[in-house]
Amino acid sequence: MVRQKSRYLLCELNVSDRSRLLLLDDRAVREAVRATVARIHGDYGAALCSLRFSVKYLNAHTGIVFLRCPKNCYRLIWSALPFITSVENQGQKVPCFLNCLHVGGTIRTCQKFLIRYNTQQLHRMLPQCKSEEEKLQVRKAILNCSLIKRNEGGFEDEAESGEDDEE
Amino acid sequence: MRAVGGEQEPAAFERTVLRNASPYHYLKVYLQLESATTRLCAVELKQLIVSGLSSLFGEVGAALPFDLLKYDEEALTGILRVHSRGLVKLWSSLTLLGSYQNEACAFRVLQVSPFLLALSGNSRDL
Amino acid sequence: NMENLQQTSRNLLVCDQSSLRHRKCRLSQQVQQHHFNHQVSLLLPECGSAPPPLDAALRSFSSSYLLRKLPLHELLDTHFLQDAVYQGSVYGLSYRSRIDEDTCVALLPSGQLVLSLDKDVYERLGVEGKPSRFNQRANSRYVVTVNLTDSSMAPGGRGYQRLLTGLKSRVQLQTDFLLSHHPGGGEALKALLSRYDWTEHRPQVSSRLLTNLPCPTPLTSDLPSCDPHSFLEWLGAVEAEVSCDNESTSFLSTLVCPEPRAVLSRALRVRVSGLLLPQDVYRLIEELRRCWDGRGTASWAALTVQGFADSPVSWGSREHGFLKGGENFYSLLLCSDHSYWLCMGTGAHDGCPP
Repeated sequence: MVRQKSRYLLCELNVSDRSRLLLLDDRAVREAVRATVARIHGDYGAALCSLRFSVKYLNAHTGIVFLRCPKNCYRLIWSALPFITSVENQGQKVPCFLNCLHVGGTIRTCQKFLIRYNTQQLHRMLPQCKSEEEKLQVRKAILNCSLIKRNEGGFEDEAESGEDDEE
Repeated sequence: MRAVGGEQEPAAFERTVLRNASPYHYLKVYLQLESATTRLCAVELKQLIVSGLSSLFGEVGAALPFDLLKYDEEALTGILRVHSRGLVKLWSSLTLLGSYQNEACAFRVLQVSPFLLALSGNSRDL
Repeated sequence: NMENLQQTSRNLLVCDQSSLRHRKCRLSQQVQQHHFNHQVSLLLPECGSAPPPLDAALRSFSSSYLLRKLPLHELLDTHFLQDAVYQGSVYGLSYRSRIDEDTCVALLPSGQLVLSLDKDVYERLGVEGKPSRFNQRANSRYVVTVNLTDSSMAPGGRGYQRLLTGLKSRVQLQTDFLLSHHPGGGEALKALLSRYDWTEHRPQVSSRLLTNLPCPTPLTSDLPSCDPHSFLEWLGAVEAEVSCDNESTSFLSTLVCPEPRAVLSRALRVRVSGLLLPQDVYRLIEELRRCWDGRGTASWAALTVQGFADSPVSWGSREHGFLKGGENFYSLLLCSDHSYWLCMGTGAHDGCPP
């Protein structure tokens, strides 16, 4: 059987009020993306992205989203992302925008990119700490992250699932 | 796009071959309406086509530039000009356009050509 | 896929720039090789009515004859071959049959009979042909070319018998047929015409006076001020009576005449349509030339000749197909200093013009 190639879009959900992120789930994000693609690219775009399009992963704490779509039409979805201004879930509208960080062929490459990206962000933000105490707190929080905890995040599970072999 | 220039005698004989270089494509279309009494002006026709583009290709499609070069209100026929890159989009949205103000309609594409000259005569209705 | 949406089928535009006085001028051959023309259009600037000799040339295009339901084996009739085919040039083309779905037949002045057939008919006919160049993958169309002036195609010859029985008994092909003869006219076709229902078609001449026509300048063939495609677009707009009077911000149309431009106070457009012979077209070009030799006033003239979209050949015996438009035409911009600019355009299913 021929493997159907996909593209994974690694996006960051930006909201003004971080606590509202917890209101979101992957279904809401999927609906928002789908509706926007339909608005920007019409029936043609909606039809293309109805096939094998899904939200693979959503971290409601950090706002990281993985979108999967067929390789041949990722540009349609990619170009529609900037037009998303809010995500609605259970009657509540969360104003937000999606920032696409990376486009990858497998979840694994996206994960590698995300780790590198987060390290970079950390290095950028550490000098902004106001006191030594704050720095220590951050360091402690990082060291507290154990492997067991990361496994719960579902990140590794995804990376090991069958459909994301190296291209 | 390729240009081949062969010069036998300077400035006296020159041949240029232009392949797929036509910037535009032209379509002669006829709008078939359910009732014979409905009338459309040129602006309404263009608006109808834009709405067809927008339903098939969304806001990006609705922004596709095309020109209504000529329109005969009586015969409901017109000539459209579109950038060659947009031909497939325009043609497919014309095909799938099915209603005008809740009235069934259909676009018949009579002639398509990369040359406007070719639309001035059709040997098929000689 | 987004990329596929932006692709269009092939088209070709060949532009020759030369002079009628040039020793390598091939204009005569190029015109004569384009056998089946259905419309000739002449644009004369600053001119209210055509000069009498030119007008006469425009009105003296040969007539053609339309035969209803002609069985094709009649084209192999001994008398027809002797009276018409061996004695000059016969132009014959199936009428109102579409090359992308029906059987199309052309009889060229060289004596070649070209049949463009779908697969079923081809296989029943039992005469050797070639698969069409343009759908090689499907092989659903075949082209049979026979030269009626060949020795094997002489009445009684082997090839002749094979084709005759093929057309008489295996497939009874019947089609409406347009015929014209040079130089004999109807006389040479008399025997054939007497047996079938026919009508004579005189070419239709219509003229139109255009006023305040924007026009790209300078229109001299040695240095066209605009590229061929925009020149042809302008000429096409004149032919189709499309207004070039637009702004770049107009909602309906943004078509404008190429810059730099001038406004012609008046121009005459004369159009002839029917089955037009290349000899008559060339006679018209010669007449134009003579007009200028006499007076030397008008600066240029544009002549557009359109070929039949459903003819199985375009130039010479090059195969022709339809696909989207079946266009095959040429535009000649002729200047009074005998220099010219010839643009030959074809669509996707066509060979390169000569």
